[in-house]
Amino acid sequence: MPLMESLAQLGRIGLGIFERLGRGHLLLAHILAGLGPLAVRPRLLIIQIHSVGVLSLLIITVSGLFVGMVLALQGHYTLSQFGAEDSLGIMVAAALVRELGPVVTALLFAGRAGSALTAEIGLMKATEQLSGLEMMAVDPVKRVLTPRFLAGLISMPLLAAIFSMVGVLGGHFVGIGLLGVDEGAYWSQMQAKIDLHEDIYNGVIKSLVFGFVCTWIALFQGYDATPTSEGVSRATTRTVVHSALAVLGLDFVLTALMFGD
Amino acid sequence: MPHSANSNEPLVKIRGLRFFRGDRPIFDGVDIDIPRGSITAIMGPSGTGKTTLLKLIGGQLRPQAGTIHVDGQDVHRLALRDLYKLRMRMGMLFQSGALLTDINVYENVAYPLREHTRLPQSMIRKLVLMKLEAVGLRGARDLMPAELSGGMARRVALARAIALDPMMIMYDEPFTGQDPISMGVLAQLIRRLNSASSLTSMVVSHDVHETAEIADITYVIANGEVVASGPSKEVLNSDCPWVRQFMRGEADGPVPLHFPTKRSLEEDILGEAHRKTGTCR
Repeated sequence: MPLMESLAQLGRIGLGIFERLGRGHLLLAHILAGLGPLAVRPRLLIIQIHSVGVLSLLIITVSGLFVGMVLALQGHYTLSQFGAEDSLGIMVAAALVRELGPVVTALLFAGRAGSALTAEIGLMKATEQLSGLEMMAVDPVKRVLTPRFLAGLISMPLLAAIFSMVGVLGGHFVGIGLLGVDEGAYWSQMQAKIDLHEDIYNGVIKSLVFGFVCTWIALFQGYDATPTSEGVSRATTRTVVHSALAVLGLDFVLTALMFGD
Repeated sequence: MPHSANSNEPLVKIRGLRFFRGDRPIFDGVDIDIPRGSITAIMGPSGTGKTTLLKLIGGQLRPQAGTIHVDGQDVHRLALRDLYKLRMRMGMLFQSGALLTDINVYENVAYPLREHTRLPQSMIRKLVLMKLEAVGLRGARDLMPAELSGGMARRVALARAIALDPMMIMYDEPFTGQDPISMGVLAQLIRRLNSASSLTSMVVSHDVHETAEIADITYVIANGEVVASGPSKEVLNSDCPWVRQFMRGEADGPVPLHFPTKRSLEEDILGEAHRKTGTCR
C-alpha cells in the first residue's frame, strides 16, 4: 500500500512540525517568564548585549556602507534618466530606513549572532552544562536563554538604525563625492520627505519583529538540538535558513500592513 | 529545610522504578536504598542506565512507574520550587564535569554561592578557596576550564558540587578516562569528603575495583533489574555467574556479546531468499 504509507509518512511529518512548533512556543513562554527576574540582574543582559550586539557591529557597519554605496550608484543611474538626480538622498534613505536596514540587518544578524547563539546553547546542552545548571537548582532557560533573548530584541533595532545611518553616509560618499550630486539637495530632500511615523517608526517596528523572531528561532534551535556535534551543526544551519525565510516572509506581511493601501 | 522525621530511613529510597526509552525497558521494577552517611556504588555495564538513574533521582527525568524518595520527599511529586530547593541539597558530579566554559575555575565554584546566597564577596572568596583547597586546586583558581585536564575538571566540578554543603553527592562515572594517579586522587577525595562532611555519596561507575574499594554498599544493575546488592566485598566475591563475569571482567559468560536482533546472521547477509529456503524445510 504505497499510497497509504506515503499518507502516513506525510502525517508523521505534519505531526512532527506541529510538535516542534508547540515546543518552540512553550520555550518562548518559559523565556518570557524569566524577564521579571532578569530586571534585578542587569549585568547578565549587558554581557549578552555586548556578545550579540556590539560584536555584530563590524559586519553591520561594513555591509551598511556598501549597501548605501550600491544604492547610490543604482539610484543615480535610474534617477538621471528622468533628470531627478537631486532626489538621490530621499531614495537612498527611504530604501534603507523602510526596507533594507531592517531586512539586511536581520539576515546578517541571523548569520552572525543567531548561528553563534544556537551553537553556544547546543554545545552547552551537549557538554551537560545546562543539566549541570538544573542540578545546581538554577533554571537554565531563565538564566541562560532569557538574557540572550532580550539582548537580541534590544540589539536588532539599534543595529538596523546603525546600518541605515552608515548606508546613508555611503550613499553620500558615492552620490556627492563621486557622482557630483548636489549636497544640499541630498540632505534637504531627505529631511523633507522622510517621515518619522511612516518611515522611521515602521522600520523600527520591523526590526523589533525580526529581532524577536530571529533570536527566538536561534535559541529554540540550540535548546532543541540533538546533543551531538552533528546535531548542533544541523541546528545551526536550521537557524540561518529558518530565520532568513521568516524574515523575508514577515517582511512582506509587515510591508503590506504598513504601506499597502 | 524539610528533613525526614526518621533519620534511620535511607536517604534515597527507590521502589518499583520503571523507566522506558521508547519500547526499551531501562529499569523494570528496581528497588534501591541508599543509606545515610554511606558510599553506595551503582555498577553495571555501559548502557544499563546508570546515568539515567541519577537523572531520575535528581528529577530531571520522570519514571513511567514507581517512586523515588529523597530525604523523605517524593521527587516526582514535588512542585518545581520545592524540587529546586531539594536540588540545592543534592550535589552532582557529571562525567564531563559540566563546568561553565566561559568563566574561570574560581567563578565556577562561586557560581552556586552567588546564585543561592547573599553572602558578601569576602565570605564567598573564603568559601571558594576552602572548597578548592579541599580538592587540591586552590592554585588553579584563575585557570579557564579549557586549560584543565580531565581529572582537574572533575575535581573543580566536585568543589562546585560541595559549595553549598549538600547532604548528598551523586558521582557519574568519576573514574572514566582517568590515569591511575587521577583515579587514586578522586577515589581518595570521595572517601575523605564523605567522612569529613558527613555526606551520603552515590557513585555510578563501571570501574569495578576503584569503586568497590571506596564503596560500603554495591548494587549491580543489568537488563533493567538489580542483579546483586549488598556490602561491596560480598558482591565482589559473589557466586552469581553474571556478577562474577562483570566483576572480574571475563570475556566469556552469561552476558551476550551481541545486541539482540530478530534476524539471524544468515538472513541478514544472504537476504530474504535464505529465510524462505529455511521455512520450506
